[in-house]
Amino acid sequence: MIKNISIRRLKTGVPGLDNLLGGGLPEYSFNLLAGPPGSGKTTLAHQIMFACAGPTNRVLFFTVLGEPALKMLRYQQQFAYFDVAKVNQSIRFVNLTAESMKGDLDQVLNRIADEVKAYAPSMVFVDSFRSVVKADSHVDQWGAEQQKFVQRLGTLMASWMATTVLVGEYTETESQSSPIFAAADGILWLSQSMQRNSMVRKMQVVKMRGQAQAPGLHTFRISDRGIQVFPRAIVKPGLAVDFEATIGSGAARIPMGVPGLDAMLGGGLPAGYSLLVVGPSGSGKTILATEFLAEGARLGEHGVVAAFEKSPSQLLGNIKLYSMVQAGQVGVIDTRSLDLSIDETLHDLVDMINRMHAKRVVIDSLSGFELALAPEFSEDFRGSLYRMVAELTGMGVTILMTSELEDRYTDLRFSPFGSAFLADAIVVQRYVEIEGQFKRVISVVKVRGSAHSKDIRLFDITDDGIVIGEALSGYTGLLTGRPTRGPP
Amino acid sequence: MDALGISRHRSIENLTSQNPENSASSDVGLWPSLATQIIAIVGVGGFDSLYARSVFLTQSQFTWLAADCEIPSDDSRFVSLTASLDSAAPELARAANSLLLMTFTDIFASLVGEPLTARILDSAWGTGGYHFAEKDKDEDT
Repeated sequence: MIKNISIRRLKTGVPGLDNLLGGGLPEYSFNLLAGPPGSGKTTLAHQIMFACAGPTNRVLFFTVLGEPALKMLRYQQQFAYFDVAKVNQSIRFVNLTAESMKGDLDQVLNRIADEVKAYAPSMVFVDSFRSVVKADSHVDQWGAEQQKFVQRLGTLMASWMATTVLVGEYTETESQSSPIFAAADGILWLSQSMQRNSMVRKMQVVKMRGQAQAPGLHTFRISDRGIQVFPRAIVKPGLAVDFEATIGSGAARIPMGVPGLDAMLGGGLPAGYSLLVVGPSGSGKTILATEFLAEGARLGEHGVVAAFEKSPSQLLGNIKLYSMVQAGQVGVIDTRSLDLSIDETLHDLVDMINRMHAKRVVIDSLSGFELALAPEFSEDFRGSLYRMVAELTGMGVTILMTSELEDRYTDLRFSPFGSAFLADAIVVQRYVEIEGQFKRVISVVKVRGSAHSKDIRLFDITDDGIVIGEALSGYTGLLTGRPTRGPP
Repeated sequence: MDALGISRHRSIENLTSQNPENSASSDVGLWPSLATQIIAIVGVGGFDSLYARSVFLTQSQFTWLAADCEIPSDDSRFVSLTASLDSAAPELARAANSLLLMTFTDIFASLVGEPLTARILDSAWGTGGYHFAEKDKDEDT
């Protein structure tokens, strides 16, 4: 049987991008990298170029009008991927400004053809392609000449077996009328949006012929290392934990590290569950989370903590946690930025979970997490959190999330985000007034698919951690904050 | 100026004085190959701007230096420089050309960095046995 042609996919060298593209850039494909000014097009093109260039993979980079080449080279060298040793070895820059200025597209094409013949590159970049075709026209419209130019360029590159990336500034409306969008095998669209002083960069693979790209918008960040893409988490079929199967098969339960709490949970927290610990400020949520990690460390299970409310120094002021971090038993995610996306946080978590082979994850707290996100992600916090929890539990880790809950004695809520539904188990902590004293109480509200204690029990925070006391069985109206003794 | 820059200056001095029996204007021959490399990367406009500023700065020391860079043709770009050097005493002409090359490459290096400048100079003049890039320098020593 004759085997169909198999297209090689070139690794782009941009973290996260190959996942979006469906494995990489298809060899010999004709691609458009489009977006508004400042969206990171040239940076992305350079990063891909330097990653791909090598002795057997030569690259031609045509610069045209737009950003002066001198400036481009100056600024691009600020990124770690810029390898000077590759310039004039496996990368050749060619300036097409003179030909473009003359406005003769045939001349531009002939120059490109000459350079391609002379250098025999595996990859060709044209930045900015928009400048090439615009120079030919006094009006900003595509004429027959430009269409012919695109057609001939595509054919030329295919016949010389060069994977091509055209870089261009386009608006979304142009993407529906410009013939380059129809001719291109692949289109990568970059954008940036501002909301309440927060800037978020996004990338979309509009099309990538012959392979399944990741749909939707994906956030990316530009740092001194270049571009890093954070593919949007998508809940895959079968990824969410099958609760009945988990419990029914007698899956392992993991101890919480707080004496008495495991019994309240029905024998510990089922592995791979997400537990939401809610309570007012100072009720002991972070201490409970620390005990959870410490118990894991004691059993040889590594943990990861994403702390959104405290700086690293504040966080590590927690001696118990500090010791675990120092011993390499717990990893800490830096989460102090205020323009994060859920996917970026998830990427960092997954990366550290894999590196540490972690089994336990703490997110402290959801309230701080929401604050750390760029405003546009806060609007869909619940949906994003659902995707994140599904992805993490799908990896088999057990998650403990804390959530601040204002002590209101007239209404009973478990989360200010309505996110209680996505937790498999909920533990609530509250303050109640008993005999003129503020006392802390703890109760297990739910453990999906499992029996659990219905008690409301007193607890104290001591030097040895959380000590759970007796059940307050002789009281009524505990959750109103002002219980009374006696039967209901 | 870092070590690569100092080394670049030394190499330019050597290149412009390696054939003392020739006329100074023969050293103008270094310019076309340099122009080819730079123009390929930054375009004619980019090269001409850098060259004009280099001439202007060099004229503060060699006031007689005339190097019209407004001639658009590649073939005639350095005609004016050649004529100007030919009209001066050989030693002075050689010093002026050397300074002009150093000034030009100084400006270019300050914009795109010494390592990239060194690579481009290797492409332009490397066949003359001079190596500007750091790696090649290490191999020499």
